[in-house]
Amino acid sequence: MLRLNRCLSIVALALLLSACATSAPPSDARHPDDPWEPFNRNVHSFNETADRAVLRPVARGYQAVTPGPVRTGIRNFFTNLRSPVVMLNLLLQGRPGESLEQFERFFVNTLYGLGGVFDLASRGDLPRHEADLGTTFGNWGWEESRYLVLPFFGPSTVRDGLGFYGDTFINPVWELAREEGSYGLLGLNIIQIRANLLPLDAQIEDAFDSYLFLRDAYLQRRQFLIQGEESGLPDYDAFLDDDFDDWDD
Amino acid sequence: MRALLLILGLAWTLPALADTSDPVELIRQTTGEMFALIDANRSEYEADPALLETELRDRLLPRLDTVYSARLVLGRHGRGLEREQVEAFAEALAELLMSRYATGLLEFRSRDQVEILPLAGDNTERSTRVRTRIRLDSGNRAPVDYVLRKTGDEWRVFDVIIEGISYVATFRTQIGEEIRRDGFERMLARLEAGEIDVDIES
Repeated sequence: MLRLNRCLSIVALALLLSACATSAPPSDARHPDDPWEPFNRNVHSFNETADRAVLRPVARGYQAVTPGPVRTGIRNFFTNLRSPVVMLNLLLQGRPGESLEQFERFFVNTLYGLGGVFDLASRGDLPRHEADLGTTFGNWGWEESRYLVLPFFGPSTVRDGLGFYGDTFINPVWELAREEGSYGLLGLNIIQIRANLLPLDAQIEDAFDSYLFLRDAYLQRRQFLIQGEESGLPDYDAFLDDDFDDWDD
Repeated sequence: MRALLLILGLAWTLPALADTSDPVELIRQTTGEMFALIDANRSEYEADPALLETELRDRLLPRLDTVYSARLVLGRHGRGLEREQVEAFAEALAELLMSRYATGLLEFRSRDQVEILPLAGDNTERSTRVRTRIRLDSGNRAPVDYVLRKTGDEWRVFDVIIEGISYVATFRTQIGEEIRRDGFERMLARLEAGEIDVDIES
């Protein structure tokens, strides 16, 4: 607990220090889902700093020393361990068929794929599904939620942050850390997730405003995951400025 | 993440001399033409991507409603701009996309990777959404949707939505922020110089 407290106070300090560096628009001009933009921007720059200092170099090191097939195996292993989370949430979202498919995947890969290291199910044409507690809440009607950048974990919303926390109780990787105090597996998981995201770094850094880039991509993507194939189009009419009307063809 | 590039490559693999009166046909024919083009000249294009860019520009540009996209991206920031300025912006935006797609397109090996779905959902006489699915090497199917509008009796594409992420919406926030901070002219200059890279990821 002590360690966690210290961690939190470092975060608080960093947020305080970066408080003057914000460039958020005035409150009436903000994105409707991002009323906390100044706070979020501070956490975002804190995350960027922490990432550059620690996580990214570690992830690069991991990528440099592990052969590709080993990394794939490790990634499969963690993806497989998340299956119970996916299965449960698919059930909660009223998709028993897909939940069953996910169970078959979990069963096949765990038993015959050396605990998930080999993704045999995908070769056998068993589709992988994606679901988490955040999308379950969305499915139940909590479709819009305030954008919230979490320290260390990055883009989220109030809904997805709660969901993320809830999911950790079903994910053995987190349970192990919580119950046994052994953080090795969790640490490796975080490093391998970060390593998978390395190819995106250049894009994010090239974006004019990395904060907005991540926010928009995140919110649209989550919206899509919740609404599925039927997700609506952006409100193009609202995008157009009235003054343009006399332009039309 | 190669998958992403692949998708980007295909995203604007659009209409050329296609039948412009039916949006689904338009997407189908253009996708086919693009693959035929790549299949026939792959080695030249790989050696000189600029060649492919020119080819893409000639074929795709007429089927894109770049000015409409630009107006959507600019929104209220376009207020008070001359038409020429908006057109210059539209062109710079299209340039940026073309060079990106040329790179991505070469990554595709087979046209079987693309599936074009029949129309469904909320379509009107004036605007419609054509859904396609791209089969990735991982076995997953990535949704790529094209949004078209009809002007006169021609359908043209003005937005692409990859895995639920809209180009127009994403550009809009980024460009809007840049204009708010630096003004339209500086933004345009930077865009034309290739200093702004607005990307979307999945």
